[in-house]
Amino acid sequence: MKRWNVALNALAVVAIGVGFSSAVGAPAERTQGDFARIMFVHVPSAWLAFLAFGVTLAGGVIWLVSKSLRWDRVAGSSAEVGVFFTALALVTGMIWGYPVWGTFWDWGDARMMSTAIMFFVYVGYLALRRSIPDRETRARRSAILGIVAFVQVPLVYFSVNLFRTLHQGATFSGPDSPIDEGFVRPLLINLAAFTLVYLAFTASRTRLASIEDDFDEAAALADIELAGSGITEPNLGGESNDE
Amino acid sequence: MTEPGFWRQAGEIARKDLMIEGRAGEALYITVPFGAVALMLIPLAIGTDKPLLATVGPGLFLAVALLFGMLVAFRQTATDTPPQRELLALLGTDPAAKFVGRAATSMLLLLAFQIVLVPVTVLLYNPGRMDRWPWLLVVIVLLASGLSLVGTLAGSVTVGLKTRSTLTPLLVAPLSMPMLLAASQVVEALRNGSSILVWILLLMTIDIAMAAIGVSTANPLEESSI
Repeated sequence: MKRWNVALNALAVVAIGVGFSSAVGAPAERTQGDFARIMFVHVPSAWLAFLAFGVTLAGGVIWLVSKSLRWDRVAGSSAEVGVFFTALALVTGMIWGYPVWGTFWDWGDARMMSTAIMFFVYVGYLALRRSIPDRETRARRSAILGIVAFVQVPLVYFSVNLFRTLHQGATFSGPDSPIDEGFVRPLLINLAAFTLVYLAFTASRTRLASIEDDFDEAAALADIELAGSGITEPNLGGESNDE
Repeated sequence: MTEPGFWRQAGEIARKDLMIEGRAGEALYITVPFGAVALMLIPLAIGTDKPLLATVGPGLFLAVALLFGMLVAFRQTATDTPPQRELLALLGTDPAAKFVGRAATSMLLLLAFQIVLVPVTVLLYNPGRMDRWPWLLVVIVLLASGLSLVGTLAGSVTVGLKTRSTLTPLLVAPLSMPMLLAASQVVEALRNGSSILVWILLLMTIDIAMAAIGVSTANPLEESSI
């Protein structure tokens, strides 16, 4: 593993520790009590999922232009990490929703539904990648699916503005934000920590994908019979080759 | 001899697909009865409470239209074999025209599929009369075109893969959910007497977006399928 990769992983671990302590140190919310602390995981997870899928889109588009397989690996790795963060956002949202809203899942909620749809769209993207052994074909088709899939992201983001349902609207909106100052700082610290975790996961997964590609290439080369491999060594000793 | 234009090529592809479907009858003789059976199975599963069935009937119709419509969109008769794909490429067929032709055929078949299932739903579920029911026809057309476009696009992405039959529904189902949501909201709005404009616009936007993506990505997808 490269030195910068180790440093990034170490930095991510330290940042998560700092984020955790800042979340524990934040004041209890007036009405929700300690349940509000789940937001320090839920909100960064959701934001990072958007970022991850944005990188998947960008990686796919750059691959289509440059045909450099590195960008396909970045796109696929980012999608995997994005699916992880989307699942984390969904699960933490459901855990928070039960005591606060009185239900784990609300069918009428636009944000929950659209996030779940986005999760399955990218699960499909990953399934497509696994189904195509040829690297070039996989890169091309997943780049196109990555473009189609990204249509979901603005739908999820703006769903709280388009549909007035249970989920609150955008609350982290600049100087007029209704969030208490005591919550803003830990939220920002956790956002930074989760971003580092995203970068560490994506970098490691991209490197692993590169190793997988090298391995597949070596395995394919080993299967190819070289020209002249059917010719045997001449028998100069006068003994029979038939044994 | 002049090369046939885009729309002529799309028309010929659609004609060919319809002729194959006419001979095989995969969509109309197999998938339509299958959808009707599904509509009959659901009351057996959730109970025969008539007011409940009348309430959920239109929604179940839309769910069946989506799930079984996928079978219509990527039916076996719309799948080219490698020699067919190579022949079309050698003839200089525009991949975008092929996409449009194939999506148009699927749309026609999906329309037929839904038109057959509407009376089945009315008979089995008795959902009651809606004042502005002709708008449902608009929804059916928009849903058919959206599903056919998504299905054709997903079919192009998964062409030639061993996992095609299981992977394509996994791609199409979540991508079609916004359409199902919009269509069900139109039914709800027609019942409540509220505005349906935003939902119709959403369906139209999805259709236009999918058509634009399908046409613009047809070339690179064609290159990876040969």
